[in-house]
Amino acid sequence: MKVDIRQATLLDLPEIMKLENSSFANDAWPEATFHSELAAKHTYYIVAMVADDIVGYAGLSKLAGSNQADIQTIAVRLDQRGAGIGRALMNALTAHATQLGATEIFLEVRADNTIAQKLYKVFGFKQIGTRKKYYQPDDVDAFIMKTDVKLTTNEPVVLGIETSCDETGVGIVRGNQLLANIISSSMNKHAIFGGVVPEIAARAHLEALTPVLEEALEKANLTLDQINAIAVTNGPGLAGALMVGVGAAKALSVATGKPIYAVNHLVGHVGADILDRGELQTPTIALLVSGGHTSLLLVRDLLDDVVLLGETIDDAAGEAFDKVARVLGLSYPGGPEIDRVAKDGNPTAIRFPRGLSLPKDMADHRYDFSFSGLKTAVARHVELAESKGEEHSIADVAASFREAVVDVLIKKAISACKDFEVPRLLLGGGVVANARLREVAKEQCEKAGIELRIPPFSLCTDNGAMIAALGAQLIMAGRHPSSLTFSAESTLPVTTVQS
Amino acid sequence: MKIPAASTRIAEYSLAIDTSAGTSVAVLSMGKVLAELNYLEPMTHSERIGSAIQDVLTQANLKPNQISLVVAGVGPGPYTGLRVGLAAARYFSIGSGAKLVGVCSLDAIALDYYSTNPSAQELLVSTDARRKEVFWATYSGVLDGMPVRTHGPAVNKYEDIGSIVAIDSFTQTDIGVRAGSLGQIAFAQDLAGLSTSSEVNPIYLREPDAVPSKGKKVSG
Repeated sequence: MKVDIRQATLLDLPEIMKLENSSFANDAWPEATFHSELAAKHTYYIVAMVADDIVGYAGLSKLAGSNQADIQTIAVRLDQRGAGIGRALMNALTAHATQLGATEIFLEVRADNTIAQKLYKVFGFKQIGTRKKYYQPDDVDAFIMKTDVKLTTNEPVVLGIETSCDETGVGIVRGNQLLANIISSSMNKHAIFGGVVPEIAARAHLEALTPVLEEALEKANLTLDQINAIAVTNGPGLAGALMVGVGAAKALSVATGKPIYAVNHLVGHVGADILDRGELQTPTIALLVSGGHTSLLLVRDLLDDVVLLGETIDDAAGEAFDKVARVLGLSYPGGPEIDRVAKDGNPTAIRFPRGLSLPKDMADHRYDFSFSGLKTAVARHVELAESKGEEHSIADVAASFREAVVDVLIKKAISACKDFEVPRLLLGGGVVANARLREVAKEQCEKAGIELRIPPFSLCTDNGAMIAALGAQLIMAGRHPSSLTFSAESTLPVTTVQS
Repeated sequence: MKIPAASTRIAEYSLAIDTSAGTSVAVLSMGKVLAELNYLEPMTHSERIGSAIQDVLTQANLKPNQISLVVAGVGPGPYTGLRVGLAAARYFSIGSGAKLVGVCSLDAIALDYYSTNPSAQELLVSTDARRKEVFWATYSGVLDGMPVRTHGPAVNKYEDIGSIVAIDSFTQTDIGVRAGSLGQIAFAQDLAGLSTSSEVNPIYLREPDAVPSKGKKVSG
């Protein structure tokens, strides 16, 4: 016997009423009630068909934005009971509730209907209360039952939104799998200013929001209906930039009824590796280097145990590249330019200072970074040479500067691996594009017997896919959605994985 | 005026969002405000916006997919807050499948003022633009439910407006923006068959405050 489950329409009403009246002798719903239930937009009614006959039906109610759903009714024709139709109907309803973002499903059942209660228990429903004499005129109590829906069984499809700096990113993942990763960068607009201008970045985010979302859905070949949840970066980052993504994500959550997860940008960078290799191996040290961050993290568990070991006390590494590029008359962004020029230079020509590496600094700043002194040293070197009218090699300056940055980054990261006996180093952030950084990291990790992980560049730079990936991890771990009132936090600590 | 029955062209239910000053959100049915929420504080847009939209929908007993028009207040107003509402309007419109239109936020203030002061003539609306300047526009009245703007929107020091318009001949108001009024203007435009531009962009009126890099000279 083949049973088909399909969504009910108003045309099914006469058949459904016949079944309703025969199934619920004394407490059947009037036809008008059923009509409005079928017509309502917050309900989802299905029918079970055998050949052309409706042999069962069931309905669900789920208000947009709520994480709770109610099973309104379920009935199976007397001669078809015991054939698994009730279970098929329940399966379809709970799956739909889950897809709508429900994390709890409630129902009421007659206290004397033990067969139905048995079915509900299979789906994890537990009695949480009793309504005395609820069913009239039979004078029978109702048991209130509830089940917690966890998306752990299937792989949630999550849409991630990232606007913390100058990249507008929307990514889509299914569980640990990358489906789309669309990034629109406002980098060129900042070029004449020599660094990211927050107001320009925020304006660009607003312009890019719609095309980036549309492109991501197209790339993943999905519609918004097929997304299970929305994740968004709420910090750390530029406040005005973050707020664009937060405002958009909240409205999308309300409009679609999908739950929202507010997640930490830096932890997102760590989570990016999941999309590359299908899992995150822990513990790991993570070195995140970009135009806005230079952070060294100890990650024992992505969702529960991320510790900030150290960070820059002044400029971010990417910022230092930009500023030194300016000193050398190179264009913005400085990283790729310095990389290009340094290729022909001697990295040992000039011994530039390694910030916070002297024994006196190491006591208090073992894992911290400082690049402001280095930048000044480069500027002094160039100015001195120019004032003396000496010939100086830009290639040597670029190569020596780059060597100083890379040296201190990798040395501190490797020493963190050794100190905490962590056999793994993960790199993230836009500066990972720097060829010399990757090269030295590889050499030094091999020498120290440390496994090096560098996700592809599109997952290292700021992107929405890593935010979606972190959201998916939270969902698979059974975490509840964020409340709609979370704020954009420019200094969100790395210990707050979800707000 | 007799309001025609809902057609496919006229949006029955609309959601209006304005964050050009505080956070104001409203749901309307055929130009009538069903629910409206106004949060006056100027710094909480991104916290408020999600629950504010959800709350007006709940109060109006509507589901998101019943909204067929999203009306965004496009300012002018302080940029960081203004963008939150526009970002929300864009993504709500995509998520709900509703059409998106933009209305100048100062127009909503003018409509409100004329509604309570029907005999008023020329009106000057001004709002805080920070940096000792104001966003402003002038109006001559309301025609078919739409304020008639005669000058602006513009940004100036308040004392400089007098050199642009004869400031003494205007009544002035500094009342706040209500999303409900914004929605009413969009409905009136819809009724009048005025096609609103599909470009729904913020009215900034100022370039980003940044100075191009002079290059070099970092130490000193």
